[in-house]
Amino acid sequence: MAFPSAGSAIAAAWERCWFAPALPRPLAIVRILAGTVALALWWSWSADLNTWFGPDGLLPVEAVREWRSPWGVSILDLARSTVVVRGLYLAIGAALVCLTVGLATPLAAPLAAAGFASLLHRAPMLAGPADDCTAVLLWCLVVGRSGDDLSVDRQLAVARGSGPAQPGIRNRIALSLLLVHAAVIAGAALLAQLKADVWWGGSAAWLLSINAAVPVQFQTAFGRSEYLTDAVTHGITLFEAVFAAGVCVPALRRLTGWIGIVGWPVVGLVVGEPWWGAAMAVFAVTVLLTAPVDGDRAG
Amino acid sequence: MGRRWPDACRGRGAPPHAVPSSAEHRAALASDAVRGAVTLALAAYFLGLLLSIAANSASGASALVSALHGRLFSPWMVPPWLDLGFDYGLTRGLPDDADHRLLVSGRGAAAPALEFPASGMTGQRAARWRRLARAVAIDDADPSGTSVLATGMAEGLFSRVGADDLEVVVSRDPFPERGTAARSAPEKVSTVRLRRGSAGLQLIRTSDPEELAPLLRPAPPLEGKVR
Repeated sequence: MAFPSAGSAIAAAWERCWFAPALPRPLAIVRILAGTVALALWWSWSADLNTWFGPDGLLPVEAVREWRSPWGVSILDLARSTVVVRGLYLAIGAALVCLTVGLATPLAAPLAAAGFASLLHRAPMLAGPADDCTAVLLWCLVVGRSGDDLSVDRQLAVARGSGPAQPGIRNRIALSLLLVHAAVIAGAALLAQLKADVWWGGSAAWLLSINAAVPVQFQTAFGRSEYLTDAVTHGITLFEAVFAAGVCVPALRRLTGWIGIVGWPVVGLVVGEPWWGAAMAVFAVTVLLTAPVDGDRAG
Repeated sequence: MGRRWPDACRGRGAPPHAVPSSAEHRAALASDAVRGAVTLALAAYFLGLLLSIAANSASGASALVSALHGRLFSPWMVPPWLDLGFDYGLTRGLPDDADHRLLVSGRGAAAPALEFPASGMTGQRAARWRRLARAVAIDDADPSGTSVLATGMAEGLFSRVGADDLEVVVSRDPFPERGTAARSAPEKVSTVRLRRGSAGLQLIRTSDPEELAPLLRPAPPLEGKVR
């Protein structure tokens, strides 16, 4: 009977993928890296906080409410004075710091994710790819028990005489969600690029190098050689295709992880979105850390 | 991470000869129920993720996808900032993809009083200002819109510039020919005049100056715009 055996195989693969208990160490590493990226992005709002959100700011709540999705909500909508705006902003930063160092992580993780989303909803027109990917990273961390290792929480538990960190199903679900998103984001970006002629014609890298966010050296180099521009353009799409596909094949995850850790920051720099590259590199670290070890069938 | 399942976590995978006690049996059942619920939640989330990608594409979405996505998934995927299309085409080679800049000046002034991003601004901070300038231009070009952003920014701009009659310009740098370093002068994408008087706030699209400027009153709620 082919069908029952195929069904059993799928069920077993699903169980392995989503419900095999996992140690918290990989998720803890992701927590530290994602928290650091989130803090850097959070900090980028600080200089213009009052210019945008202050009482006579350029982005009053009423105008933003008309502009954004009707389902968008932000705790910062309630702030009507400079002090409250700054206080809420600092509270979000404090939650991100707690998440990064692993202090009161079960509370800090949802507060950090909700706070980060709240900051983005306050001015959605200012958000970019790095913000999107970091928000996803933060919500995935909410699912798992990332504070059970490499954290202040862990140190406190050890001081109280706790044993070693235990594997858990929640950690597996969080890691698998990160893997799914790594493949989906890379795949969706690839699809979006392949809809435009400039990615087929090879000039996308040149056009991106014109933007102010890209180091001027790239423009100079691309200006000298059309072949180089073509190679970089096609290299970016090929890299995204390899990454998206490699995440889905457990046997290739170690290689894919390393390719992503090196490749995403470079892509981020070339396209003028260095923090997007950094956030995607955190996904790549997850891919590397969830690669099956020799002789292990679980992915 | 390559660990074998602890026996306590095996559930259905336990060997057939292991007869569970009633407590273990109840635990296994509860575990199955939880797994079923998690599987359902994951399936719902993945369907939402798929529809978010389909609905938030720059290529547009079918009425069916938009309706399913908007009614069933947006209400719980938008608040946590998970309603994302990951539509990172980065550039399509269109003028819209060039860097945008926001210039604000008192009416008739020779030079802009405010420029965003200001010279010297770099990194994410400058990128956020460029996104704002682009959003203002897109918002202003929307024929059904009321230039929500430019209007909303008015009070803040009046107080910063110290004038009651302003010109808000969004400019962008045209792409040069491939392989050439020569840059053309920035081109104006949108120009609006914001004026504050005894009758209230007026927004005048300078590209169509002969139209009578509308007196702006609190607008009825519009359908929200997804990024």
